[in-house]
Amino acid sequence: MISVTKVNKSFNDKHVLKDVSVDIPEGETIAIIGRSGSGKSVLMKHLIGLLSPDSGTVTVDGIDINAITYAELRRVRRNFGVLFQGGALFDSMNSFENVAFPLRTFTEMGEPEIEDVVKRCLAMVELEDVGAKLPSELSGGMQKRVALARAVALQPRYIIYDEPTSGLDPETSNTIDELIRNLADQLNVTSIVVTHDMHSVLNIADRAAFIYEGRMHWTGTIDELHRSDDQVLKAFVTANEYKIGLS
Amino acid sequence: MVKQTLDIVLNPLATLGRYSRLLFHAFGAVAELSIYRKNLWEQMVKSGVDSIPIVCMAAGFSGAVSTVQTAYQLVTPLIPRSTIGAIVVPSMILELGAVVTGFILAGRVGARIAAELGTMRVTEQIDALESMGLNSIGYLIVPRVLAGIIMFPVLYVAACFVGIGSGMLIGDLGGFVPAEEFLVGAREFFQPFDPIFGVIKSIVFGFLITSISCFKGYYTQGGAEGVGRSTTQAAVASCVFLLLADLVLAATLL
Amino acid sequence: MKFSNEIKVGLTIIVATVIFILGVRYFEDLPLFDSTYDLVAEFDNAGGLIGGNIVRVNGVVVGSVEDVYISEATGKVMVEFHVDPNIPVTEGTYATITGFDALGVVRMDLVLGPADGPKIPEGGMIAAGTGGDLMSDLTAQAPEMLEDVSSVVDQLNGVLAETNAMLSAPDSDFRQTLTAARGSVEQIEGLLASERDRIASILSNTDSLTADLNASLGEDGEAVAALIAQMEETMATLNEDLERFQETNEQLNELLQKLNNGEGTLGLLINDSSMYHRMDSTLSGLNGLIADFQSNPGRYLKEMKIVDLF
Ligand SMILES: Nc1ncnc2c1ncn2[C@@H]1O[C@H](COP(=O)(O)OP(=O)(O)OP(=O)(O)O)[C@@H](O)[C@H]1O
Ligand SMILES: [Mg+2]
Repeated sequence: MISVTKVNKSFNDKHVLKDVSVDIPEGETIAIIGRSGSGKSVLMKHLIGLLSPDSGTVTVDGIDINAITYAELRRVRRNFGVLFQGGALFDSMNSFENVAFPLRTFTEMGEPEIEDVVKRCLAMVELEDVGAKLPSELSGGMQKRVALARAVALQPRYIIYDEPTSGLDPETSNTIDELIRNLADQLNVTSIVVTHDMHSVLNIADRAAFIYEGRMHWTGTIDELHRSDDQVLKAFVTANEYKIGLS
Repeated sequence: MVKQTLDIVLNPLATLGRYSRLLFHAFGAVAELSIYRKNLWEQMVKSGVDSIPIVCMAAGFSGAVSTVQTAYQLVTPLIPRSTIGAIVVPSMILELGAVVTGFILAGRVGARIAAELGTMRVTEQIDALESMGLNSIGYLIVPRVLAGIIMFPVLYVAACFVGIGSGMLIGDLGGFVPAEEFLVGAREFFQPFDPIFGVIKSIVFGFLITSISCFKGYYTQGGAEGVGRSTTQAAVASCVFLLLADLVLAATLL
Repeated sequence: MKFSNEIKVGLTIIVATVIFILGVRYFEDLPLFDSTYDLVAEFDNAGGLIGGNIVRVNGVVVGSVEDVYISEATGKVMVEFHVDPNIPVTEGTYATITGFDALGVVRMDLVLGPADGPKIPEGGMIAAGTGGDLMSDLTAQAPEMLEDVSSVVDQLNGVLAETNAMLSAPDSDFRQTLTAARGSVEQIEGLLASERDRIASILSNTDSLTADLNASLGEDGEAVAALIAQMEETMATLNEDLERFQETNEQLNELLQKLNNGEGTLGLLINDSSMYHRMDSTLSGLNGLIADFQSNPGRYLKEMKIVDLF
């Protein structure tokens, strides 16, 4: 269970998050939607303490992550797998090593076992043969998928996906959506999916949270999303549907 | 106007404060070194072993130049030729060995570190490390600074060895002073503290260059352009503080 | 072949450490692999000696000075140094500080004791050279000689007074005594004449040595002014001492003259054989000193060490 309560965050004079509150219950998949630059990535970084709020609290499993020591914070972070918007693969390591990295660092697994797990993770994102390639030798979409494999390798309790399907072709997008769905269902993972792809939202999310101009403008289930008559939300959703309709 | 003046004083202080805080965190993370052992080896190879050729080349030239210039300045036949050795060897051991190594590595190692960490920062790789529950300072900075502290004295020794050797060789081949006489002069004026001072100096330089570059790289802002800025600043700041430290050490220890 | 990072780093560090240790030992004039042999020497004056200066035996570099400090207990200069352990530093070895401070070329020379003597143990104390330098030797000895001479003259006066008293006594067995005295005095005169030749030759030896020095200075005409000045200063001191020599010599001549003049009246002089012995020992001491100076000027003339440079 993650709760964000009245979080404010400014960079210099730019007020990015304004009194943002959202609850993410155990086992649920929540989609955080909003226009580009609305503060989705900033919010996501608050969830794991990479950014700390100017005011307000973020609690994970009841622990205020900004009131604990760094060592304790790191222990909390072990429960998370994070897919960053740009992938954030370690560019000194090849794909295999990137996925193996958390396993080697945090588990006692032997090398054959690690190889097994890494291969399975890479297969999940349909990239069995890129293990030996450096991130710089991969396309943007491939990098993102390797990063996804890395984020899920340790089977964390919480997985944060920052735009997992942006930059992917619709077919691969569907595979990734399916993967996120499966992880959530089979392993009871709590998923936070930051996206502006309404297609994904409808595919995978239980609930959606809509950020508009730095505020938590709307939260509700997918059913409620369909029925909502909020003008701003409707504009965002229909803009997406228009796109879906075109493709 | 007042604010600007105040900033001139406060900004360097704030920077020093952030630098100290980073070092403080790094110091705290040394305990976890066993986790980052692999990085330490890797950094010792990258900063140390791989730097040997360039350091040797620079030291070789400075040793040779020292000999030629000393020979040029010693015009009177009354002063024995062994004086060339007595001047070249101590200046290599005391000053040139460490400073030449320092300057070369401010460019080679300092810039690499700042660029690496800067890129990792702007591409969120540092965030990724942190999000896994790793201590990014321990993982990235401690091995780099430790590698600097351990390997700079090694490079200093290499620099002195090659510098003195090339100075002697040029002296002999150039007909300025036979190798034996060069060594006689060097031995006659040798001070046992000199090489110790040199090693202390190289340790300090190693620490300064790597920690300043880590600081600049780790706190990079502003994309690719920011990485470029950090890299330049790291190399420049390393050189400036290297010279300052050289003066301070000479004033306190000699 | 691909080496792991650990091997590369380890090898590099080991090689650097070995180079460092061997390099430092080499420049410190230590044997590269053997252990060292540490000794201490005590001096009144370090003469500019510092740590790192070389230690020589018979002109061969065998070690170096570790540290020079003033002993808190005695106030003397203590010189810690190490030498090649294969050097037979036996009992009776003494150390001198030589070289030219102005050029920074100060070193310590060891004069080894008898080869079959017991070796001085590690950390043992070595005496400072007994020789000292000529200047101080001469200055120290000149008043002594003058004292000797004046005591001789005093004695002579006493003898003359006694002789006069005896001569004025009419009942003395004067003739007999006079005859015996004449023979003895002739003998002593011959002896003194031969001593005179020796003194003359000693002085001419010194003169020729001075000429040698002058000549060697002339050869290196382009010598730095400072060095020449230093040499000239030394020469001046030397001349001063030669003057003092001459003074002593003149006094001796005077004494001889007095002896010659008083020939007929020195009957009792013969009985006082100690006076002759005393004169003889003074002269032979002087003679030995000059001979030593001539054969080994470097040892006496610390400042004249520069002669070695040419
Ligand atoms: N480190 C930072 N320093 C200054 N401003 C920042 C920083 N990070 C984010 N911002 C600002 O905060 C705002 C929100 O950024 P954020 O990355 O959260 O957008 P986003 O909703 O993720 O957009 P996108 O969908 O394009 O990723 C932006 O205007 C950005 O300029
Ligand atoms: Mg974003």
